[in-house]
Amino acid sequence: MYQYDAIDKAFLDDRVSEFRTQVQRRLAGEMTEDQFKPLRLMNGLYLQLHAYMLRVAVPYGTLSSAKMRRLAHVARTYDKGYGHFTTRTNMQFHWIKLREAPDAIASLAEDGLHSMQTSGNCIRNTTADPRAGATAEEVDDPRVWAEAIRQWSTLHPEFTYLPRKFKIAITAAAKDRTAAKTHDIGLSLRRGRDGSLGFEVMVGGGLGRTPYIGQTIREHLPVGRLLSYLEAILRVYNRHGRRDNNNKARIKILVAQLGTEEFARQVEAEFALIDGSKVDLPDEELARIRGFFAPPAFATLPAVSKVFEEAKARDPALARFARQNTHAHKVRGYVIVDVSLKAPGETPGDISAEQMDVMADLADRYSFGEIRVTHEQNLVLPHVKLDDLPAVHAALAAVGLATPNINLISDIIACPGLDYCSLANARAIPIAQDIARKFADPDKAEQIGELKIKISGCINACGHHHVGHIGILGVDKKGEEFYQLTLGGSGAEDAEVGKILGPALPAGRVAEAVDQLVEVYLRERKDGERFLDTYRRAGLEPFKEAVYVAAY
Amino acid sequence: MMALTASRLIDGEVVFWNRGQWVERFGQAELFEADEVAGQAEAAAKGQPNVVIDPYLIAVSEAEDGFAPVAYRERLRALGPTNLRHGKQEEGGHDVEVITRAVGVARSGGRHNLIKRK
Repeated sequence: MYQYDAIDKAFLDDRVSEFRTQVQRRLAGEMTEDQFKPLRLMNGLYLQLHAYMLRVAVPYGTLSSAKMRRLAHVARTYDKGYGHFTTRTNMQFHWIKLREAPDAIASLAEDGLHSMQTSGNCIRNTTADPRAGATAEEVDDPRVWAEAIRQWSTLHPEFTYLPRKFKIAITAAAKDRTAAKTHDIGLSLRRGRDGSLGFEVMVGGGLGRTPYIGQTIREHLPVGRLLSYLEAILRVYNRHGRRDNNNKARIKILVAQLGTEEFARQVEAEFALIDGSKVDLPDEELARIRGFFAPPAFATLPAVSKVFEEAKARDPALARFARQNTHAHKVRGYVIVDVSLKAPGETPGDISAEQMDVMADLADRYSFGEIRVTHEQNLVLPHVKLDDLPAVHAALAAVGLATPNINLISDIIACPGLDYCSLANARAIPIAQDIARKFADPDKAEQIGELKIKISGCINACGHHHVGHIGILGVDKKGEEFYQLTLGGSGAEDAEVGKILGPALPAGRVAEAVDQLVEVYLRERKDGERFLDTYRRAGLEPFKEAVYVAAY
Repeated sequence: MMALTASRLIDGEVVFWNRGQWVERFGQAELFEADEVAGQAEAAAKGQPNVVIDPYLIAVSEAEDGFAPVAYRERLRALGPTNLRHGKQEEGGHDVEVITRAVGVARSGGRHNLIKRK
């Protein structure tokens, strides 16, 4: 994992003391709120419904055990004992006090955590495949490139005041676990026919008010030119992106207006002008970064673990957990373990300080001190020995973290919604809880199979509802919470924006409607079809009928 | 009927106006019948930019056995989030019970001058 050097540490400490002074000046009345607000936002501090919210960056979703313990400490000391993981793999604390915010940020800095660039019109935290370094599917470790982008983009003077926020995701596997095509820039690492590594560069994806799927403007960008090419894209966007209307300021609008071809042409023209030797990473620096992501000292193990097989035969809960929450590791005898933060009745993405500490301990004992955060608001222990899986499962179960529902109907993305967020029109969390409770029977959930439900409390779409197999959007209809359902979205490599099912439903009808949609799927599905596949084959009509005709 | 609310600068706490003081509970808030009195309070609150952020009037209506904000959003601000018993509702009390039971709706965020009653 990347380690800060003395320069990084001094930089963070300077930033903390700068922010401390700014807060002191604000509290002393030497700055107005209008003057102070942009400064606190540059440090990830928002004012929300009940308190200030601090958004802490988790670069490319990678946490060390020490960082996780630090988050637990901050949750206990400055919040109400818990935190919330977001769809950008960041952590939000929802009960921060302004007077204590500098102390909280100073505490985070002790373990190299910070909240810079988690707000504002800058390049935000770059996300990456949570299985990086652990899956055999990848052609390279995407974290190396994500770290390069982090360093390049941190306080980049040219890109500090973009027309709007800017989000980048990197996957190095064909199976996309980053929702790359919903990002301002999605990068997919591939090997070319000649064996060389290159990025497929997709631009102009985004959700929010006007959803777009990212379009490819380069099939195979040589990896060494990544930063130059990003700079060219950002420069075109910075120059031509709209600044007169916040709703039309994202790069997706520019790409859609110019057309993909014209946008690509302008990027290539800009790219040709850039002196790569001044922008791109020198080989030795790349090698230095790569060194931090060297594989840990994996043991040589048999492919089958007797300990695990015997435990699994005795314990159906462990067998189910292994079925749903573990995935093939690139090294024999290891597995990737997904840890669900979606126990029925709980808040999606929430984790208590005690659970954070347990995750840190488990990472130290069983996963080389590493934890990942997924954009689906879950955690990953990337390198667990099969032999250790029974112990890991038992330890997770003891703190309510062994819910075997990864990718199933109760593994729901939900934004904080109107329970916390001042932008929201409606609550998202209680809807997620209703649905999870309705499908709490694990046998039924397994029978239904992969089904991604995503819920946003407003059109800003932090809950990715546009790309849910079933998407749910909270709206304010004459002062009451209503929910608009969409079907057929996907945030994966087959990305697609869902279609609106029909008129919005009152809160009390949503879980029932999901049940009706599932019944149609179970009735109509053919062998091996996921919900999404059945929808794509059968179309909207049978689903629409079930929810709107049968019910009335 | 109206109340005056804001977020307290130092900690972001939801606060309500009562005769020149900021109080934390809706149950202790001053309720205004007359637009003129409410407007004066709002103007006074706006003169305290280093104490509170964004003071505004909210619509309040009679609820069962008491009063409650008309807008759903404002009831949440007065209580705390519904997924956990955090925030003001942690303390409990009569005003919390009244707001918890309250129904009724308001168009928009519940700011007094934006509301159309249903």
